[in-house]
Amino acid sequence: MATPLISVQDLTVQFRTDEGLVTAVDGVNFEIGAGEVLGLVGESGSGKSVTAKSLMQLNGGNTLYGEESRIRFQDDENDIDVLSLRKPKDLVPVRGGLVSMIFQEPMASFAPAITIGDQMVEQLRLHTNMNKAEAKEHAIEMLAKVGISDAARRFGQYAFEFSGGMRQRAMIAMALSTQPKLLIADEPTTALDVTIQAQVLDLMRDLVAEFGMAILFITHDLGVIAQTADRVAVMYLGKTVETGTVHEVIRRPAHPYTSGLLNALPKLEALDEPLTAVPGDIPSPLDRPSGCVFHTRCPKVVPGICDSRMPTPTSLDGGQQAACFALEAGL
Amino acid sequence: MLQFAEFILKRAGLAVVTLVIVSFIVFSLMEMVPGNCAERYLAFKNTQGEQITVQDIKAEEARLGLDRPFVVRWGSWLANVFFRGDFGDSCILRVNINQLLGQKMWLSIGICFTALLLAYVIAIPIGIISASSRSPVLNNSLRLLSYLGLAMPNFLLALMIMLFSTVVFGDSLTGLFSKEYRDAPWSVDRIIDFLSRACLPIFILGWSATAFALQTVRALMSDENGKLYVTAARARGIRGGRLLWRYPARHALGPIVNSVGFDLNRVFNELPIVAIILTLTEAGALLLEALARSNDQQLAGAIIFMLTASIVALNFMSDVLLALLDPRVRSGVMGRAQA
Repeated sequence: MATPLISVQDLTVQFRTDEGLVTAVDGVNFEIGAGEVLGLVGESGSGKSVTAKSLMQLNGGNTLYGEESRIRFQDDENDIDVLSLRKPKDLVPVRGGLVSMIFQEPMASFAPAITIGDQMVEQLRLHTNMNKAEAKEHAIEMLAKVGISDAARRFGQYAFEFSGGMRQRAMIAMALSTQPKLLIADEPTTALDVTIQAQVLDLMRDLVAEFGMAILFITHDLGVIAQTADRVAVMYLGKTVETGTVHEVIRRPAHPYTSGLLNALPKLEALDEPLTAVPGDIPSPLDRPSGCVFHTRCPKVVPGICDSRMPTPTSLDGGQQAACFALEAGL
Repeated sequence: MLQFAEFILKRAGLAVVTLVIVSFIVFSLMEMVPGNCAERYLAFKNTQGEQITVQDIKAEEARLGLDRPFVVRWGSWLANVFFRGDFGDSCILRVNINQLLGQKMWLSIGICFTALLLAYVIAIPIGIISASSRSPVLNNSLRLLSYLGLAMPNFLLALMIMLFSTVVFGDSLTGLFSKEYRDAPWSVDRIIDFLSRACLPIFILGWSATAFALQTVRALMSDENGKLYVTAARARGIRGGRLLWRYPARHALGPIVNSVGFDLNRVFNELPIVAIILTLTEAGALLLEALARSNDQQLAGAIIFMLTASIVALNFMSDVLLALLDPRVRSGVMGRAQA
């Protein structure tokens, strides 16, 4: 790969809490090339949202980033080490300019008492040289582009006057209005009906093609990932356990956790078979297992090894990587 | 715009209806107390050593119009209050209630309003900023101050201030005017003198009201700060004062605006105790006197009615303000026509 747009190196994120330091992300590495869609998959609590928010330093004030952690943003005009930016002012070009984010709950991500249009214009005025009238015109154009009919009237309305699917469309319109290089989509379709989900996914695919930006797509739904992503990174308890192209990972999952996630998906052709869940619950981040973080739930656990030592990523064919002792031992 | 005017008119109509209902309740309560005004007055005269006959009572009832049916008497009382602003005569004191209450009611309401205004002016910005600040020094000292404000009774604070001022200034700072201005006609000097005195009850009442409002604002603000739309705004690059005031602060104000009427009532209820200690002649103390000692229902009714009227008026204003602040409320009260 040529120079990646975003490279995340050894990202470690900890939170200071009353119970002590909680590790949410532990030594995560990944890269996203320009125009590439990377899927980030994992259960709730796996640290995928925290990882994504780190790209804009959006995590709360009690966050500690690792000393060795680097998040580097490179393109023709920029070369930014995001985590080295200390002042909120310096983060402005990144937040909403180079990187935009859309969230799981489109209703809650708009301020309830400010019109959609005002919020769009505000962002445009902050990141572009447009004057008020130009910003308004551009915002209406964007709303129309994401398939909102009567966009000029919708511009003056509030989020509560939009339907769920329309809100997420408006959110996408706002996120893309500044032509960011990277779009972070944090479970953008989870709160929507399946039919609306498909529409929103189609819309995102079209817009990616048109705008040529990269996407970090976060979801717990491997089905959605198969539809949208080029490559995928599977996270478990703050670690990436497997990375690779979507085809490789879904066809030939190398890590037992990835296989578990795939087996847990309902299959339309085998409706009578029981679903196979990944046994157990994700452990509390306050009480991280020693050794491989997945060993408490792993069907292939090797006693004496998995619970004491940390596996390192093993490279497989086609650039796929997985961190698992069972894999190393050829099990 | 037209719809908004329509909403204001409707809401004002509703306020008037509320007032009529309140007046009926107040009037009925006055009626339910055993003995009517004539009997009570003559019984009072009896205690002064006069011989009273049944004929005297009948004559007095006829003079006061008490022989008319209840609804007629309520109607004429209401008409007098609404159209002439006249509450009639006090039952026992035989003086026109308007004269008796006169400035006192306005003083009381003025003191309460000013105390409340002071509380909001202090509590809203400080509450908003402290909820968003992570400085432990600021937060803990504010918490200590507001616990002091909530926990320390007003009368204790009043007594402490009086003790302090007596020892230091040799003046107890009681009353609403200094000696030389007490009966003087209104003049600039008298106003200044009044303000210098009135600031004491305002401060004492405002102290606990501020503490209360501060806690509320802080809680509301912390709640708003944690909401996704604030993170989303930060993710768009909005920061600093703009982020704070335009996003969470603006959305946290709704419930505060909503509770203005309730807050005024609370402050008014606290006023009489402070007034007794500072020997202020204000309406709250008069109300206690009328209810508890002289059994003067006409006077008590007039005070309760005026207090309720000011709360109804405040609620009306806060409803209008809320509709201006929050589009969701606006569309709720005006229908979805503008959508």
